[in-house]
Amino acid sequence: MASTATHHDHEQDHIAHLREKHLMLDPLPRGRMNEMVMESMHDTSWKFWVVFGILSVIVAVFLFGAWGYMIANGLGVAGVNRPSYWGIFLVNTVFWIGISHAGTFISAILRVFKAEFRRPFTRAAELMTTFGLVQAGFSIFMHMGRVWLSYWLMPIPNQRGLWPNFHSPLSWDLLAITTYLLSSTMYLFLPLIPDLAMARDRTPDGTWQKTFYRVLALGFRGTEGEWTHLRHAMNIFAFAIIPVMFSVHTIVSWDCAAATRPGWNSTIFGPYFVVGALHSGMGAVAMVLAVVQSRMKHMKYFIRGEHFDALGMLMLLVSMTWAYFFFNDYMVQWYGGDKWTQQLLHFHEAGPLGWMWFAMLIFNVAIPWATLWNKKWRSNPWLLFGVGLLINFGMWFERYIIIPISLTINRMPFTWRMYTPGVEIYLGIGTVAFFILLYMGASRLIPLIPVWEVQEGQMAHSLKKYGRETVVTISELE
Amino acid sequence: MTVTTNISLLAVFPDLEPAADAIDRLRTLGVPDDQMNVISGTPVTEAMLGRPRQWTNVPRLALGGALAGMIIGLFLAFATPSLYPIQVGRQGIISGPPTVVVVFEMTMLGLLLSTFLGVFLDSYFPSYRPMHYVPEISDGKFAVFFSCPQEDSEKITKAMTALGAEKVEAAEAQPL
Repeated sequence: MASTATHHDHEQDHIAHLREKHLMLDPLPRGRMNEMVMESMHDTSWKFWVVFGILSVIVAVFLFGAWGYMIANGLGVAGVNRPSYWGIFLVNTVFWIGISHAGTFISAILRVFKAEFRRPFTRAAELMTTFGLVQAGFSIFMHMGRVWLSYWLMPIPNQRGLWPNFHSPLSWDLLAITTYLLSSTMYLFLPLIPDLAMARDRTPDGTWQKTFYRVLALGFRGTEGEWTHLRHAMNIFAFAIIPVMFSVHTIVSWDCAAATRPGWNSTIFGPYFVVGALHSGMGAVAMVLAVVQSRMKHMKYFIRGEHFDALGMLMLLVSMTWAYFFFNDYMVQWYGGDKWTQQLLHFHEAGPLGWMWFAMLIFNVAIPWATLWNKKWRSNPWLLFGVGLLINFGMWFERYIIIPISLTINRMPFTWRMYTPGVEIYLGIGTVAFFILLYMGASRLIPLIPVWEVQEGQMAHSLKKYGRETVVTISELE
Repeated sequence: MTVTTNISLLAVFPDLEPAADAIDRLRTLGVPDDQMNVISGTPVTEAMLGRPRQWTNVPRLALGGALAGMIIGLFLAFATPSLYPIQVGRQGIISGPPTVVVVFEMTMLGLLLSTFLGVFLDSYFPSYRPMHYVPEISDGKFAVFFSCPQEDSEKITKAMTALGAEKVEAAEAQPL
């Protein structure tokens, strides 16, 4: 009798533990979840506005101010010069496109594979895609110098009879990045419509927010037809946006790989860049989630240790894949024995910026492998934040090594010259500040948690007894 | 000859199960499927509600958009270089890899853009006219909206209430 009672207590403890651990097993009434998400948007401390104000000043001075200065004084105020014509501008372009990959990966690939842990943070990741691409666009426009002539890139006849040469991978960039920016913005917006309708229903009449939500919710009510159209569209998007995502960073890699330069002319650059993009993107998602969970009201309910654990495992897997591609690329180039490539590889490791090469390997491989294997460690938001931050430094270094450092060494030694950045350092800091500023602004206006997707997941999850053990089961509702 | 006037009613249920039961009951009371609609804050499939399959044009529009995108891509890749030839060394005016990239990107853009617009077309978005709705829906309630003859409304209201409807009221279009 006593044994049965003890077993029952253990069982109850086990169920309570499962509910505490898994958001999908810990449902709250929908009205309460809506209320929590709305409160998380509205309850803002003065510290938020202080940070917002500081970032606004940084953006005004470092991004728009410095850009205006560069436009007024010419591209000469930047450090790009022979032989490193591509400097931090393109490092940042590649970096931000990389960050943007996380949104699609988490939202589309995990949706296709029905990974349930994705549900509460798909939107947080999708926002990174759109805002990351905005910074990538800014960076490439800065690189152009005479930005007012950027329409020459477009395939429209202009007064000089110029036409984009589609043989150039830079023209492919324009097509790929435009396609990706438009697609990811639409993919962000579609699942947002029901949450905007929820915000509309919970916002008092006569406020500007009511008008904002009313306009953006488009008149959504949640009829059978509306859900059907939305579900079909989201399925199409989830599948179709994956090859678009792969194409973007592959095409970006071809900017380098299609040239017959030492260190660049590699057939493996496409997947190597894609994996690198996922590496920095996943790290950035971990950083955003750690901040959102700790700083926004009620977010501890929606974002739990299980989410950091899953994200940490993905980061570890991506880190291993990145290491494999790095080794593969390095091995073939080194073993090839080309004189100039040997010079370049030596310059990477033993040149004046050799520390960057070692830091890249430590941040991208050694630290993730040393920490993320441990479930307890990777479930810790701030540890994951730290690892994500270091991975992003590591991945930025990787792009810096591939672009300006690799451009230093070529087949004409008389042109060798170290790249020294100028105004682009401030512009780079400006893009980081602008990204955070956009994100902070969005977190006050857009429900960061897709409440209907969370509820849908909670409806699909249940507990079932197999023999003596209670286990989690998932029903196929979609 | 008597003229039957129809009335639109909105029955709000706390859960999916009673809403699905209400649909069955409405059918037995003579309300045809095309006179009903379920409004919910979470997606529920037709099978869960026991409703006929919903028609959507989104996949067809997506295919049409992909085709249009591909045609634009082919035009950009083949026609425009011929109209504005740029001779670079001994490179051909039109070559394979750029054609693949341009056609792929334009096809995908066409596919995704038309999928997005397909939702707008099929759902009649944006629509800011007053509509039959209750804000509790986004808080997780299920509303069954239906039309029935005026003389049956009392009988049907009683049936809905018996099945657990929190309220059954004449549906009035209201601004969202």
